[in-house]
Amino acid sequence: MRDFDVAIIGGGVIGSAIARELMRYQLNVAVLEKESDVCVHTSGRNTGMLHAGFLYKPGSLKAKFAVEGNKEFDTVAKELDVPFKRTGKLIVGFTPEDRERLEYFIQRGKINGVIDMELIDRKRMDEIDSSAGGNFAVYCPSSGILDPFIYTIALAENAVNNGAEYFLNTEVIAYERLADDQHLLRTKTGEIFRARWVINSSGLRSAQISEMLGIPGYVIQLVKGEYFVLDKKAGEFAQIPVYPAPTPQFTFDTHATPTVDGNVLVGPNSINVEDGEDYSVSQEGMDGLQESGKKMFKHMKREYYIRTFAGARPKLIDPETGQVQDFVVQRPENTPGIINLVGIESPGLTCALPIARRVVKLLKDKEELTRNPAFNPVRKGIVRFHDKTTQEKARLIQKNPDYGEIVCRCETITRAEIVQALHNPLGVSTVNGVKMRTRASMGRCQGGYCEMRITALIREELGKEIDEVTLTGCGSEMFTGAVKGGMEE
Amino acid sequence: MICQAVIIGGGPAGLAAALRLKECGIEDILILEREPTLGGILRQCIHDGFGLVRFKKSLSGPEYAQRFIDEIEVAGIKYLTECTVIDVTEDKIITAVSKHHGYLEIKAKAVLLTMGCRERTRGALAIPGTRPAGVYTAGVAQSYINLQDVMVGKEIVILGSGDIGLIMARRLTLEGAHVKGVYEILPYPSGLPRNIEQCLNDYDIPLHLSHTVVDIHGQKRLKGVTVARCDESLRPIEGTESFIACDTLILSVGLIPENELSLSAGVKLDSRTRGAFVDEYYQTNVEGIFAAGNVLHVHDLVDFVSLEAEEMAAHVASYLKSGSTSLGNVSVVAGQNVGHVIPQKVCGDSDFTLSLRVRQPMKNVSIVVAQNGQVVFQKKMRKAIPAEMIQAKIKAGKLKPEGDLEVTVQ
Amino acid sequence: MKRMFTCIICPNGCDIEAEIDGQKILSLTGHLCAKGVDYVTQELTDPRRTIASSVKVTGGTLPLTSVRVTNSIPKDMIFHVMNEINKRTLEAPVSIGQVVIANVLNLNSDVIVTKNVPAIRD
Repeated sequence: MRDFDVAIIGGGVIGSAIARELMRYQLNVAVLEKESDVCVHTSGRNTGMLHAGFLYKPGSLKAKFAVEGNKEFDTVAKELDVPFKRTGKLIVGFTPEDRERLEYFIQRGKINGVIDMELIDRKRMDEIDSSAGGNFAVYCPSSGILDPFIYTIALAENAVNNGAEYFLNTEVIAYERLADDQHLLRTKTGEIFRARWVINSSGLRSAQISEMLGIPGYVIQLVKGEYFVLDKKAGEFAQIPVYPAPTPQFTFDTHATPTVDGNVLVGPNSINVEDGEDYSVSQEGMDGLQESGKKMFKHMKREYYIRTFAGARPKLIDPETGQVQDFVVQRPENTPGIINLVGIESPGLTCALPIARRVVKLLKDKEELTRNPAFNPVRKGIVRFHDKTTQEKARLIQKNPDYGEIVCRCETITRAEIVQALHNPLGVSTVNGVKMRTRASMGRCQGGYCEMRITALIREELGKEIDEVTLTGCGSEMFTGAVKGGMEE
Repeated sequence: MICQAVIIGGGPAGLAAALRLKECGIEDILILEREPTLGGILRQCIHDGFGLVRFKKSLSGPEYAQRFIDEIEVAGIKYLTECTVIDVTEDKIITAVSKHHGYLEIKAKAVLLTMGCRERTRGALAIPGTRPAGVYTAGVAQSYINLQDVMVGKEIVILGSGDIGLIMARRLTLEGAHVKGVYEILPYPSGLPRNIEQCLNDYDIPLHLSHTVVDIHGQKRLKGVTVARCDESLRPIEGTESFIACDTLILSVGLIPENELSLSAGVKLDSRTRGAFVDEYYQTNVEGIFAAGNVLHVHDLVDFVSLEAEEMAAHVASYLKSGSTSLGNVSVVAGQNVGHVIPQKVCGDSDFTLSLRVRQPMKNVSIVVAQNGQVVFQKKMRKAIPAEMIQAKIKAGKLKPEGDLEVTVQ
Repeated sequence: MKRMFTCIICPNGCDIEAEIDGQKILSLTGHLCAKGVDYVTQELTDPRRTIASSVKVTGGTLPLTSVRVTNSIPKDMIFHVMNEINKRTLEAPVSIGQVVIANVLNLNSDVIVTKNVPAIRD
């Protein structure tokens, strides 16, 4: 059994932000993550959008936290070394009804504190991004794009560097409240964690975990969204995220967004699902995206497809009305020592740190916390060869010859970067883990050149056997053994 | 660093080009190769059947490559291995990186693009389904099995009947895997007939034409695929789906010339070949930048890659000696039943070779090359299939200075 | 009776239509050269194939070298020969042409190395 002050269930962007903020105090913190890495589900499967906050109901946590998270993100990105661009955003319209709704959202934005939105005509749109669809648009300059993998990883690494402990492949399956109001958590593999505080930040499973912790009654509707990833050649045309006017239900349909690395994401659609972790992409879904994507992005063409993916959003709904509810961030009085987060979906990425600070406050209201004088908010990422100037590149190779060996041809990722990724602070050793940390295999050949080099490096650097190399953790083994001899003996 | 001729890629095209340049009297040659050894993709093509045209002998890929490599060594041609070119400019400045030599900038008088090709991926096809481990392109699987001693799976389904897929069906079977079938969306095979015979039929591996994979199953490792029959417009027919349990899906769904560097140099590409527009000297639209082999258009046989690269090198040598080449005015047009033709522009002052592929399998046909309605070349063929590259050798002086050259198959 | 063959001798891959009586060829059409006749004759009497595979190498710059048979072997012996190949391990350096198995299973064919693998220099 391991003892901690705080056990966080779920190491996505929210759990990792909470862990990082808690490390500002003298606390023993454990993050229990059921997957082999930290951004396997919703945190890593989204548009990577830093929202401005105009969409959400005034007074809601979504509105408050989004505005707060948006404002501070330049500092956060710098502190945590997260690729980020404040691109602004176009929300485009075609019809008079669209225009009405857009005007409504400019007002709503103002109430929420998003003050610089303006309605612009096609001429202004062309100046901003001629590849955007639509006849007019709201221009919102404060929106931005970020790398959701690196953000989550950065928060987790910063937490670890400041003393938090991450337990990967650790699925909590049972809970027990002890007589002294401490909590026992049992995992699938039989480990036991005892903690004074338990925080539920389990995303897709937040309603189930909430119920397990003694707070029943929440209803989550899982909504799957499918995406296309387009080649950087298409990215050359995309300057700014282009969203359609919100639906009457206040959600966004398919949008087209440049990524921080220069690709374009087209998606998502919305499909209600039972199994939130089934990320299969359907033919109908892709056909639909192809059509709706064209309306947002004029260069949505088959020749630019490099990949599809899907994610799921855990939407908290009112079972009576079916209406989507605000985030739940609570510390119920009748379940002492539990902080419960339910229905954290979009704009969760933007809200991660404001939510984390709210959680810290809820905890601080109950016990006095001592500052951690050693806390260092700065986290350094892997130095990327591709981003450097000629002189810097030459110097990098001189200092570390591994920077002179290109492993991923499409994205110009070097052996030095892969090696750094393999020795990451979280101890992640999967092929996808390397991909999310370095971008290797995210280019147009999709690993055709680098995957075999990455799997060889996993064996070489981490001493793994052939059959221990996995794509996404246990059960996703890449190989069945050696061709010659190796396995038979 | 300054160099007369820089060759990007030390595969079959690059090696053959280097040797011919040297024979033509060019001394200052540099081959840049990203792998630890020369030879390119041939290093992993361990089956035999290479060299029948060039050496009148059936060799394995590594043997075929070694013949060139040995000659490169004897000729004393300079090469750098583990050296990746990351940029080429219109002014023919090449940027390369290497752990041994650091950050290199080389100014070349002539650049020979011989980077070969890469494989089309699942993402480009947008195959629906999940994203489990166990989905490999044929070339990646070939590299794992033949170079790394790593076995990719046990129960195999292959999508696409390209030659590498067929070769891999046999390789996997010989190494103990069970290949359950090859599925091809087209109504005819994409690979060569002899590979259908000796790689599939010999091992009782069924080939399902007009079929494709419509779904991929399994969250962690592949559990199976759903296949369906396709109609004439290549769309899956509802109600014909069936599930096939397997742990590995191999994709052999096409090759794409690797032209990222060409694009950075301002080289214009033909949307049909996805390689450069070239004239009969294999010169691209950028003066002094030439292309041959699979980077120009995907070949069926390595022998033709070598031969084409040699032809290119001879022209590069005269370019380096005379300083310029006359640009052709005559456009070569892919006419009826022709998928694409190389080169796209000619002047006809010297002998040249047209390379083409037909759009669909045909029997008892004539390859007709005509200018202004006048036939300048004609060749009868008993059969013509898209899997095979067809060549037509046109003699010097056959062309008028004006008027498109139309290539048709009738 | 009629039987179709696809000649595998060269990349032309001729579709040959043969009129045969047991192992005897009555007539052939579709072949572009005399090799087609030899191929069909061989297929009828004693079908043969070449195979290629790999052999594990210790102490080399690569874990495997590639190998092939020098002469074609009877089709029904392919997996027997594979078994023999799978038993072998070589020590680097190995070079092209080096015999791995002489006269494998008395089939009048050697298994030879087709790729140079230098030894790792310490």
